[in-house]
Amino acid sequence: MPARGRRAPWRFGAIVGFTIRSCIGPKRWLGCLLPSLGAILFGLLARGLDEPPLEAFVRVASTGVFGLTLPIAALVIGDAVFGAEIRSGVFHYTWMTPAPLTTIVLGRWLGGWLVALVTIVPATAIAALVAGVPRAVGPAAIGAAAGSGAYIAVFIAIGCIARRAAVWSLAFVFLVERLLGAALNGIAQLSPGWEARAIFTGLLRDVPANLVRKGIPTGGSGIVRLEVVTIVALVIARLSLHRLSLSGASD
Amino acid sequence: MSQPLGATSEPAAAGAPLDPSFVPDPTIEVQDLSVWFGQKVALSELSCSFGAGVTGLLGPNGAGKTTLMRAVTGLIPVNQGRVLVAGADPRANREVYRRLALVPEDEAVPGGLTARGLVRYEAALHGLVDRSAPDRALERVGLLDVADRRVDGFSKGMRQRTKVAAALVVDPAVLVLDEPLNGADPVQRLALIQLFQALGAEGRTVIVSSHVLNEVERLADRIIVVVHGRLAAAGNQRAIRETMNDRPRHVLVRTDDGRRLAGGLVGLASVQGVTFEPLGIVVSTTQANELAAALPGVARDLSVRVREVRPLDDSLESLFRELTR
Repeated sequence: MPARGRRAPWRFGAIVGFTIRSCIGPKRWLGCLLPSLGAILFGLLARGLDEPPLEAFVRVASTGVFGLTLPIAALVIGDAVFGAEIRSGVFHYTWMTPAPLTTIVLGRWLGGWLVALVTIVPATAIAALVAGVPRAVGPAAIGAAAGSGAYIAVFIAIGCIARRAAVWSLAFVFLVERLLGAALNGIAQLSPGWEARAIFTGLLRDVPANLVRKGIPTGGSGIVRLEVVTIVALVIARLSLHRLSLSGASD
Repeated sequence: MSQPLGATSEPAAAGAPLDPSFVPDPTIEVQDLSVWFGQKVALSELSCSFGAGVTGLLGPNGAGKTTLMRAVTGLIPVNQGRVLVAGADPRANREVYRRLALVPEDEAVPGGLTARGLVRYEAALHGLVDRSAPDRALERVGLLDVADRRVDGFSKGMRQRTKVAAALVVDPAVLVLDEPLNGADPVQRLALIQLFQALGAEGRTVIVSSHVLNEVERLADRIIVVVHGRLAAAGNQRAIRETMNDRPRHVLVRTDDGRRLAGGLVGLASVQGVTFEPLGIVVSTTQANELAAALPGVARDLSVRVREVRPLDDSLESLFRELTR
């Protein structure tokens, strides 16, 4: 009988490492990289607009970076860290272990978030530099960091609940966030995409009023709101994981 | 087929002959297990138990073998009944996984990992501190030389062995293998069969499903047959065959005058019919022992020389055909 002894920290580290590896596997790394390059291209696009640099970047970043590349990057990462494994029938390598379900959920989320922190988050900051707005680097990075963390938690929760996690995650971004979130403040307050851009604009302070969405928490309050969203999504994921049915590869 | 051959729905009482569906000292107990997916019933009120040694799990495609294995390993929730592994429900108690490992049928492996990486991951999640355990497991399946190659570049047989190594690294008391010989070449198959037999001989509970029936014949001490989600038969091959004595068996008789011998045999009460085949005559009987006793006398009386008498359906393939008919 092999000696056993290493407990939670060792397991947690193994899960985080495995998760990071899942995101840089064949083709996945490209899926993480392309939205990051897209974010930088949006920075270049802002430079070409006939507006003051700050206004141009805020306008482009709100729509292009926080509204498109951030959710796409988070979706690629969120699917890699959970949904794809269940779909391909390999999640049992993690499931059939004595590792507590909370450790599995937190390890998966942290691994995914770390990947976001070295891909889409710096790319968002670089976009601010490319757009010629260096003082937007910090707010953009903080907004992207908070938004990607919340997105990945939501996508993990969707992966625990729904079999076709990628499809439901896309539906969440484009139907719930884009359609409902654009019309309803109550939805936008719970939306990682809307809150991430509200954090960004709130931390910049002197953004023209017409570029700031009213009725949802901005700046530091937005960070707290996304932390709550992240925690709630992870709790839902943990509770749903207990009822998970691993009936094999599906696609 | 509501009742398995020779089986009752409950374990035998003390002193009574043991129901072949159950073992005296079970590691895994399956009690009135039912699993359904929407309208499809995958398992229906299945009861059996598994103990030390190798048990073969047989059944045609869609019979419910994989569902049974996934229920036993806690990968899917059960709709009715219960599964206990070492006395605990694997869906409720994750500590069960310290003693339980699965080699699934799915060919997929985590992308980008080497064989050593996958086995180490399993070891880490099980809290193993013995750093040599992964290499020992890889050596046991003959993959130590290629341990640093990526698993997604392996052949099917090598992937199977990697999955076996990932299961063995935690030194499981219960090992569930779903079609583990798929894709393995003949040499690898032999090595894996010997490995599973050795694991069974060490006192582990080893459950192996396979559609290659002659391999199950070679490696399993005990056989559980599942058909249409129900337990169809349990026991060793001979015991299952004996419980089927009301079903016709087929015996090939090679002789120098098949027509004459057939004429003599059809008059026997133990013979249901005779057909002519290129190799000889095939006698259908429900009483093989009586036929065996009467055949030499009939041949002698008719002055027919019998060259060979061979049962055609002692293999598991024929048993399977009988049970699924």
